Amino acid sequence: MGVTILTQFPVENKTGPQIIELLSKRISALGAVPQGQFLVDCETYSSVPALGHQRTVHVLHNSEQPATVFALLETGTKTIPLATDGLFDLLMMKMSSFYQSKKQTKAESKGPRFEIGDFCVKLGSVTVSSNFKGVLVEVEYKPCVVPAMCWDLIMEFMQGFLGSLGPTTPPSFLQNRMQDIYSPIDTIQQYLEHFTLFRKSPGPALIMRPQ
Amino acid sequence: MERDIEQLNSALNSVKILRSNVRCVFESVSNGLRADHGEESKESKYILELQELLTIVNNNLRDVENSVGNLTPPPGAFSLGNTTYLSQETTQERQQLYGQLVNSYKWTDKIREYSALAGNMLAANSFNKTYKTYSTTKRRKTQTSNHNVPPEIIENLITSIDRLFTDVTITAKRPFVPNPLIQVALGRVLRAVIAFKGLMIEWVVVKALSEDNDLWTESRYKVFRKVTENCHAAMCHFHSPMMPELAVRSFMHWFHSYITLFSAPCKRCSKHLQSNLPPTWRDLRSLEPYHEECK
Repeated sequence: MGVTILTQFPVENKTGPQIIELLSKRISALGAVPQGQFLVDCETYSSVPALGHQRTVHVLHNSEQPATVFALLETGTKTIPLATDGLFDLLMMKMSSFYQSKKQTKAESKGPRFEIGDFCVKLGSVTVSSNFKGVLVEVEYKPCVVPAMCWDLIMEFMQGFLGSLGPTTPPSFLQNRMQDIYSPIDTIQQYLEHFTLFRKSPGPALIMRPQ
Repeated sequence: MERDIEQLNSALNSVKILRSNVRCVFESVSNGLRADHGEESKESKYILELQELLTIVNNNLRDVENSVGNLTPPPGAFSLGNTTYLSQETTQERQQLYGQLVNSYKWTDKIREYSALAGNMLAANSFNKTYKTYSTTKRRKTQTSNHNVPPEIIENLITSIDRLFTDVTITAKRPFVPNPLIQVALGRVLRAVIAFKGLMIEWVVVKALSEDNDLWTESRYKVFRKVTENCHAAMCHFHSPMMPELAVRSFMHWFHSYITLFSAPCKRCSKHLQSNLPPTWRDLRSLEPYHEECK
């Protein structure tokens, strides 16, 4: 598990599949090899009013860590991350009388996954309750575990196939954690950050059609 | 010693000449009168020839006597140690042993001679591409053996390296006492497993911090496989049988420069990536980072 940087790719009057195809072509031209598909999904639950102060739990799954369920509890003042095993999903169902799933908020990012050298690139089209919202590009540099050490290197790599649209500053979530050892839950936090933005934004008025 | 052998050689030589000339006398006697003596006064000619030959033999004999007189007799019986008893061996199959012993003695003698020659040649023409120059005063201080040193010396070397760099942590394991196996964690960048043979570095494998520390499997990451390759090159480069401690120290100094493996751009092209790898080569003298293709 290495450092992962997640960035949004602007859509600009194109459909999701068009952009994914464009980026797939570019990354393949650099010598990347397709390695299947990936999926990151997020479901959000909020506490019932009877529990007092409202809290929100985001439950996320990442196909990269298939046996793990990630949960992020937002208390309003801070976020408590938790990595658990698969049974956590069943526990949430048991607690449906305290935490209720928000309808129409299931967000997911899925698409092709590529490997190139020690990098892993994932091109995900994001949907919030089946509505296409945008494109997220995930780049993982697997050998390195400290973001500060390899940020410049990943930035150079991303600019290599995203051009000037690549990121120039580290994701806001990572900015305070550049010297820490990176762990899978940090990737999840980045995804949640983007999903929250996508949910708030009206998003492209495009509806994803089944391919 | 040298003179004795010379004299012995010349004595043997004069004996050889004497034998050959005596043979000439007998040849002439056995042939008797020959056609080339002609018809007239052939007897007197023959006698003259014989006389000449005998004079030569006489001279030769004097030479032999002279050279034998020059020889110094050995001071006493040669002390052959236990090997003397071998010659008195009565068992049939063991009678061969003495001959074999002499042969192997000759062999070892030759090996000594050749290795001394080879040692001189190699010292004069250094085979590695190092920039080091040996000073003669330092050379005298070296130990005679580098792969059979007491464990304390290696232990001291490892602890001194550990103290040298603050961001290097070394854990040592000793499956075989004189040949320790150490794990060197370089900050949070990488980890190397280094096997020693006495004071010399025998093998290096570089891996990610999260990977297991097996000596025999390569890293699953391309960048660390490349660094391993370069470490092998550097290990051979710094290798110096004359000053093994210095070799290990210089290697560790060089190895320490990988602390910037992911963060330092290439010195030549100022880029981080080249064929999706960071600069995996470090210059052996300046320790500057270069890509494989840029060095």
